[in-house]
Amino acid sequence: MHITAENIFHLNGSGQVRNEPETRNKIPGNRAVWVGIFAELTEFALFFIVYFIAKAHYPEQFNQGPLQLNTLAGTLNTFALISSSYFVAKSLAAVRHNKPEQSIQWLWLAVLCGAIYLVIKVWEYHWNVDQGIKTNTNEFYTLYYYMTFNHLLHVGWASGSLIWAIFALKSGRYTQSNHLGLTAIACYWHMVDLAWVIIFPLLYVLR
Amino acid sequence: MSISKLNALDISWIMLLSITLANALVAETADKSLFITAVICCSIAVKGRRIMDYFMELNHANKTIQLLMRGYFYVFPLLIFLTDLFSEQLAILTTI
Repeated sequence: MHITAENIFHLNGSGQVRNEPETRNKIPGNRAVWVGIFAELTEFALFFIVYFIAKAHYPEQFNQGPLQLNTLAGTLNTFALISSSYFVAKSLAAVRHNKPEQSIQWLWLAVLCGAIYLVIKVWEYHWNVDQGIKTNTNEFYTLYYYMTFNHLLHVGWASGSLIWAIFALKSGRYTQSNHLGLTAIACYWHMVDLAWVIIFPLLYVLR
Repeated sequence: MSISKLNALDISWIMLLSITLANALVAETADKSLFITAVICCSIAVKGRRIMDYFMELNHANKTIQLLMRGYFYVFPLLIFLTDLFSEQLAILTTI
């Protein structure tokens, strides 16, 4: 599409922007990050399939298991991840409006949410051990630890990538006209959130 | 912030938090049933779609990426429901 100064693009809460957003009719970010995203989602898909089969074989364990877990911790972690995704989306909107300082502030809030998630998860694991819930207690808890610890690692390194984006914004490497790297990092962060959207009900809600 | 000033991102955030709260309430109070499973599966699909369309901005993005991502969040909620519905058959099928 030919871009002129008269072009105005409306996009998902970003308000109006004159530069065509890099996600419009294109691969958001870059191809490499999407190879990574689909690889990660395939890994989580395998976990989910193992969960389905294990649940069919051990229905009583999967019926009782979620009742013993700390639903509050799971819920607070979901809040933290959803909020962090929202902050990352706001950060991308800010950079499109040429407000890098605002973009950095939103990213710090997202990093804070990632840190809150990690703290809650560590506390939850300690709480579990106090209740006698360990990795080898039964098949449900083995899967619970596999899935949640794997997801925790993703939150950890994705938080690192957010911090990297903050420094890239500060140094002026990401600008209003050049922020494909930030878009790629945002997509990866949203994928981590998406995986949790399935993990939370599987482990804490459904019986 | 007045309600009229909320944009699609803000509304999505509030919606996602509300659905999560409702899920937590179900986890604490509801008994196991196929109906509850169906409701939870729908909530997964809605949350996933909201995040993909509004946070990831896939609703305007490359069609292949859009199709694959949306497919993931239709297939897995459906699989959760079907494996609950046919759990005995699945156990028989996967017994070595």
